[in-house]
Amino acid sequence: MPAKKIGIVGIPPLAVIKKLKDRECNIVDLDEPQIHLGMDVGSLYLPKVYCAILRTVVVNALYLDLDEIYIDVGPGKCDCALHVATILEDILKIPVNRTRNLDSEPFGTPISRTRMPLFEKFMAITRGVMSDSPHPPMEPCRPAAGFWGVPPRDFSILSLFPDTTHVYGWTRCMENKTPADLGLETYVNSAVPTVFFAQSFCAKTALAHHLARLHPHSLYLDCDLAAGNSARAKIEAFLELSGAKRPDGDQV
Amino acid sequence: MAHRTAKSWILRRPTADQPPRVLPTRDLDRGFRADLATGHNAANRSRRSVNELIALARGGEPLITDPDFVLLDCGSRDIKFIRYENSRIADMGWNAECGASMGFTIELLSTYYDLDYATVPVPDRGFSVTCGVLGMSRIFDAVIAGASETEAVSRFVRGIAMNAYRFAGSPETLYLSGGLCDNPLFIGSFPCKVIPLGRFVLLTGLLEIIKQK
Repeated sequence: MPAKKIGIVGIPPLAVIKKLKDRECNIVDLDEPQIHLGMDVGSLYLPKVYCAILRTVVVNALYLDLDEIYIDVGPGKCDCALHVATILEDILKIPVNRTRNLDSEPFGTPISRTRMPLFEKFMAITRGVMSDSPHPPMEPCRPAAGFWGVPPRDFSILSLFPDTTHVYGWTRCMENKTPADLGLETYVNSAVPTVFFAQSFCAKTALAHHLARLHPHSLYLDCDLAAGNSARAKIEAFLELSGAKRPDGDQV
Repeated sequence: MAHRTAKSWILRRPTADQPPRVLPTRDLDRGFRADLATGHNAANRSRRSVNELIALARGGEPLITDPDFVLLDCGSRDIKFIRYENSRIADMGWNAECGASMGFTIELLSTYYDLDYATVPVPDRGFSVTCGVLGMSRIFDAVIAGASETEAVSRFVRGIAMNAYRFAGSPETLYLSGGLCDNPLFIGSFPCKVIPLGRFVLLTGLLEIIKQK
């Protein structure tokens, strides 16, 4: 009997991930683009002016021929996911299981703090959602810059950052497997120039804006589906002018 | 060394006795490649291009002695600002979408209505406009409602200035960069103290970058 294909949205509780792995299910992260189709194919079910991550979820769910979905709708995700769960349940003929991840056992955040291209860090952290074990220890580095926020819909902006960028915010909570840990989510290092990333129309944009206002050396950056030239230029200028990256693009 | 979109500002060498020359980009030789450039065409027309926000910041540093300042560049196509606190970058913005075509539209209107902005008084109030293109319909509506063309355009320009002022964070003092520094109506339309630095701030930034190199 072929392995069941299970879609997950957000970070379902560890017990759910363990159960799916025990059953040798094929887990697919619906938050990430899995289908090479335009986002408009989902616009029948979700408004165009909506979180790009959840629009991606709907497009994936429509075309991936899934057996089941686990969607986290608790404080570790967002109210938008709660409503998207209702929509998915109505438009799909498969079970849509709502979870509320309140896991509090910290798994550690070695990837967020080590020296590694930021793109690879985010890949490792988002892949880690499908694992039920912590990442092996890694040597921490001194941060030249910080990235606070959720994983962006457009990962290409991550290549603009130096390898010594530390990851903060909900992405760090993802790695720690405690997505509802608001204390960890709001933790920042005020000595590190930090980009506070906001995925447009996400409820966390308010927190990003608030923390950026309080941080002494910050850039608040709002991006929708894809980062435009002005967003890229702002990141590039912020990193260079704050001394986090040299004009020639070399690492500090 | 060069800067810009529709008009290119060419500075052959960084000497005081040789001021920058301004010429339309279309008049540049097809094979022209600047040593260093900034602006939308920079990547295509130079050997090395610099992000406009970086050029603006580097240009502002030697021109402004205040450790806390806001420097706004109003270009033909977009607007951008940098804010320094304690001589360190604190905030920045680049509005290439909703603030689009402000400078371009202001220049276009003066030609279309044959206006000299030096002779147009600053109006008491401006239109609520978000960008040059969308704001033009307000001019037509005002003229239909009985306003003179000059009055309608002046209210449009004031609206554009207010929009740029809010975009820059509504500072008490605003350092201004770009061709609109030569437009007294635009300067007078800001509700704050404006210190115009001229249109060559970005070129100054390029010179600073060469020096740092």
